[in-house]
Amino acid sequence: MTHSFKSYIDIKENHFGAESLDTSGDESYIEQRQPRLLKGEAVTATEDNVLQFVSLSERKHGRSGTLYVTNFKLSFIPSVSTRTDNPECQHSSLLDEFDVSLCNIDCIYHITRDKKRKLVGGQNVSSKIKGLLVVCKNMRTLTFSFKFANVNSGRSIANALLHYAFPRRHHLLFAYDYREPYVRSNQNNTQMFQDQSDWLDELKKSNCIGWRITSSNTSYNLSANLPSFFVVPEGALDWQLETASRHFRGNRPPVWCWGTNEGAALVRMADMLPGINDRVQENVMLEQVRKAHPKKRQPHIMDLQKSLPTPRDLQISFCKLRDICSPESASRFWNQEPDFFGRMDSSRWLHYVSGCLSIAQQAAQILASGATVVLQEGEGRDASTIVSSLVQLLCNPSTRSIVGFQSLIQKEWVALGHPFCSRLGLIAESESPMFLLFLDCVWQILNQFPGKFEFTETYLTTLWDACHVGIFDTFIFNCERERACAATDTHNPLHLRSVWDWEEQYGPEDVALFRNPLYALKLEKPLSTKLSALPISCGLSSLEVWQQCYCRWVPMLEMTGGGRVQVNFQVRLLAEEIVELQRKVEICRKGGHPDRVAPFDFSEEFSFACDSALLRSRLQNNPSSFFPFMSHSACVGEILLNTSILGDEDESDDRDAGLNESTYSLSTAV
Amino acid sequence: MDRKIASSEILNPTSTGSRNASTDSLDSDSKSCSVNSKHDTGENSSSGQQSENASSPRPEDLPLLPGEKTQGVARDVTYLCPYTGPAPGVLTVTNYKLHFRSTDRETLYTLEVPLGVVSRIEKVGGVSSRGENSYGIEVFCKDMRNLRFAHKQENHSRRSVFEKLQLRAFPLSHNLPLFAFEYQETFPEDGWAVYEPVSELKRMGVPNDSWKISRVNENYEICDSYPQIWAVPACASDDDLRAVAAFRSRGRVPVLSWIHPTSQAALLRCAQPLVGVAGRRSREDERYIQLITEANAQSHKLFITDARPSANAIANKAKGGGYESEDAYPNAELVFLDIHNIHVMRESLRKLKELCFPTIEETRWLTGLESTLWLKHIRYILAGAIRIVDRLENHKTSVLVHCSDGWDRTAQLTGLAMIMLDPYYRTMRGFQVLVEKEWLSFGHKFAHRIGHGNEHHSDADRSPVFLQFVDCVWQLTQQFPTAFEFNETFLLNILDHLYTCRFGTFLFNTDRERYKEEVKKKSVSLWSFMNANLDEYRNPLFCRLLHARHVLLPVASMRHMKLWKGYYCRWNPSMRTQDPLIPRCKELLALRAQLQAQVEQYKRDVEAKNSNRPNIGSPQRLASPIHS
Repeated sequence: MTHSFKSYIDIKENHFGAESLDTSGDESYIEQRQPRLLKGEAVTATEDNVLQFVSLSERKHGRSGTLYVTNFKLSFIPSVSTRTDNPECQHSSLLDEFDVSLCNIDCIYHITRDKKRKLVGGQNVSSKIKGLLVVCKNMRTLTFSFKFANVNSGRSIANALLHYAFPRRHHLLFAYDYREPYVRSNQNNTQMFQDQSDWLDELKKSNCIGWRITSSNTSYNLSANLPSFFVVPEGALDWQLETASRHFRGNRPPVWCWGTNEGAALVRMADMLPGINDRVQENVMLEQVRKAHPKKRQPHIMDLQKSLPTPRDLQISFCKLRDICSPESASRFWNQEPDFFGRMDSSRWLHYVSGCLSIAQQAAQILASGATVVLQEGEGRDASTIVSSLVQLLCNPSTRSIVGFQSLIQKEWVALGHPFCSRLGLIAESESPMFLLFLDCVWQILNQFPGKFEFTETYLTTLWDACHVGIFDTFIFNCERERACAATDTHNPLHLRSVWDWEEQYGPEDVALFRNPLYALKLEKPLSTKLSALPISCGLSSLEVWQQCYCRWVPMLEMTGGGRVQVNFQVRLLAEEIVELQRKVEICRKGGHPDRVAPFDFSEEFSFACDSALLRSRLQNNPSSFFPFMSHSACVGEILLNTSILGDEDESDDRDAGLNESTYSLSTAV
Repeated sequence: MDRKIASSEILNPTSTGSRNASTDSLDSDSKSCSVNSKHDTGENSSSGQQSENASSPRPEDLPLLPGEKTQGVARDVTYLCPYTGPAPGVLTVTNYKLHFRSTDRETLYTLEVPLGVVSRIEKVGGVSSRGENSYGIEVFCKDMRNLRFAHKQENHSRRSVFEKLQLRAFPLSHNLPLFAFEYQETFPEDGWAVYEPVSELKRMGVPNDSWKISRVNENYEICDSYPQIWAVPACASDDDLRAVAAFRSRGRVPVLSWIHPTSQAALLRCAQPLVGVAGRRSREDERYIQLITEANAQSHKLFITDARPSANAIANKAKGGGYESEDAYPNAELVFLDIHNIHVMRESLRKLKELCFPTIEETRWLTGLESTLWLKHIRYILAGAIRIVDRLENHKTSVLVHCSDGWDRTAQLTGLAMIMLDPYYRTMRGFQVLVEKEWLSFGHKFAHRIGHGNEHHSDADRSPVFLQFVDCVWQLTQQFPTAFEFNETFLLNILDHLYTCRFGTFLFNTDRERYKEEVKKKSVSLWSFMNANLDEYRNPLFCRLLHARHVLLPVASMRHMKLWKGYYCRWNPSMRTQDPLIPRCKELLALRAQLQAQVEQYKRDVEAKNSNRPNIGSPQRLASPIHS
């Protein structure tokens, strides 16, 4: 059966890959010595002869080039025209390979030979800056040296970054200056939950007859961070809601999120305000929740505070995780090797993932048993968002399609007011990667059930990156009210653009990689109406580190020709072959001849299968295990990667052997 | 949660013929690892057929292998399953296995454990034991599990079961033959023919100008733990080899394991030089090493990897061993790989078993795993092999590998390096050749390391060296999921039969012993059994063409090391053991095959129609199997 597997990796197709990739070739690149600027983007600092070091090369290898700071990004343009524009890599239309958006920058350090000092956003630096270390929220780290640049260049770059990357006020974000026209594409069917219709639709799909849409918050008087429309128990009258809301944190009474066929509802509710001792209003609301159940069953209340991390805990955990998965130096990487598992353990990250998954699983089981679940937590905008979304992913197959998943995020995260602006640290506030914790949980489920989701891990990683681009309204507001205010501001109205129009950012080749071939070809079994949750394993021994997202910046961890991506390629080719055969059979059935079937356009009908010729040429090039992200071997020589793993004693030898013409050996720099 | 563990095959292809046919079916759960226990919970109605059998336990129904004989039956025994609780039933002991069949409808299942896996049997509880199920037998196994059976005191069944088990689990301690010599089954292919040293050398292009085949050890006189046929530098005379043997521990001379097809850089193995505290030298050995270096025109250096930590290598001088000094071997570069000895590895596995069996404490999983050091050892072995591959492939330098005696760590390193370097060893056939060559023929002491049929469970010679090697191979399959023709079941099967003593393959220490005991004549090879069933071991993701020229350079970082739960935790039914992608891929492959067949059928129909046009309108087309 399998031996024919090889047959379709044919050598013939080379012609395609070679030509199509080379047309975008080198010439155009040499001319492009300026960064690509978006409409509304302006350069604020430029310095030549800056060195950017290859990550974890211990400042021994790097490229020389020009460093730009704009009001949108930090951009490095290498002076030597190497093939930096790696065709294997995901290509964003907003950011090039060496670019980082300012929103993505977490902190900046002044580095000297053996010390580093954190620079504080908003303050000016007056001393000479020799080197800069930029640590990003998506775990990327960038190291620059100004040794060969002008005396003051380090300082000017540092000050530009400190000024523009850490805005104090929301309207200083680049999104307000961005002038590119935006038209929402027709192909995007994501439900936005901005008006009643999507909620109504959601209610109809479930059997929650005891619930209604309230419009008591249309002017955000009831709660500043709830949307204009939300779903509440039918018995709770608007005045009751208003009274009750004043007793809850964030003024958030219980809100319906989703319901099952049997009428069991998934409800999110805030804690009572501190200082309020009597729980009368809470009980009134819970009684209404009970009455909303078709069988008037008592709801099951899950207190998430006890078992899930607070935003602060999570941020501490994330910093530890970042240090382990994307250490800033190779020596640190080697130091962490012996006790990697212990460090993972003390970061708590996987414990939190495990906690979210197991609570979601419990909630799913309760829902499946027919009872309503109330998730209670703080303001009901953080951990309950994660759990509520996960429950639906476990129970509701339609949320596992791309559109369904995006609609889920719109509903649970965007509409119900997850404070993205604070949590992503756009304005120096309480940064905490709640959304990443959620994506990690989704990745774990995907990892355990690879055929159940329409999207791939590449999609999830890209989504995390998109959080830090800073121009999508999806991720820059704390709640709907803020978004509405910004959009209707008479002074400088913000152009709302949704992240879900992926074609705005990526070409069809990259978007095709978001789609999971295993999902497209699922062999449908008759759907039973009975709710059944995916039987996930939540224990730590069943969880893995999300390598593609966290470890992609570490060259030592890249496997050439290995990794999960190989499986992905195989399955993609196989799926494509099956689609082709199915078409042949179809045509034969209608009386045609199997050999006279016209070649067909994959992009239209079966968008999971991207261009097979390109796919094969990618496969033959031994793609990096982090494909389609950072390919380190394409940037630096090969030896750097694998052989020095025993560490210290022969590290330097191997590093030096890793030189090729596109890199400089700079053992004395900085 | 998910009770359907790797649903398992009974280790018995003949008596379960009907089930055999289903092995190439696409049943996603048919993960057959031979010595799995079978859990059929009562509510699982789909396994009705088995339940029927199990409900009327008559010993004569017991599936027996050819040559297997029932030794005793005990009724009213309770198996204390750590996952599903106590189950009363019937325990049967044969000369091959322990077989338990529950008689309780609630917990209906059978358990089969080949006695070869038993490491130790102990009586639990005495006359004064009062608690329920506190009186019985505990069986400690080599394959990461323990079994407990409770007996009723008044039945007096324990003593006879205990004695039968002792006798049959440790036949060598009781002057009985190992089961492999009683086992009578025949297979279509003779697995003993899988490896033929001369043709394997020929495959690598040896003999050639620089390397020759030597039969100087034909009677195992120079080295009793080496095979008869060696590949050595063409200029080395028999006398040279004898002189070198005198300077190498146990006479284990540097000989060729593998040669690079283009650069001619060679991979060699040997034992430590007998340097001793006095710093002895051997001119013949030095000259011989120089010959090896010169046999590779691409490099004037030789890379010697001593697998041990340097402290151990130095300590070995006191026992007459040691390592190659720079003075004596000026063209050699010596590196220590810091891999620990068999005792450290045994202790590490003991801790790992404690962590994994019977259940995992999830919240302490990461720290627990780290404290076993198991993955750290795996990482060092892999890292060592990577360095060898790097030298050979990227620097075209020949590499000589040794440890102390060159039969444990050395076999791990050369074996792994060869798998990384040569795609042939990543096929099923090639892997069998590799095991035969690097492990069996070069004298890895399987009998001592496993302790077949021997009751001395605390023997210091026992160590999971081969298990570590297979674990490393599994790590490679994780990092390069499309590079191997075989799947996890293939590796599990080899590991299972490492202990069962059903096949002659792993029973002895050396080629010489196997020759003396006439293993090939008197027993069946594991490969005969496995090669009769290759489809079961195929990796549906294997991409042969892509990897034809591909050298694997894995990443030996702790961040990439995984615990092989499919092996170490497989007795726990809540552990998801199979990669969920595999069944999906099998489905897709089957779908493709089905569609291809349909298209072919159409083509034939069209041609048939064209050739006899007058018959147009015949019902031919309707008859074709086009329905999916």
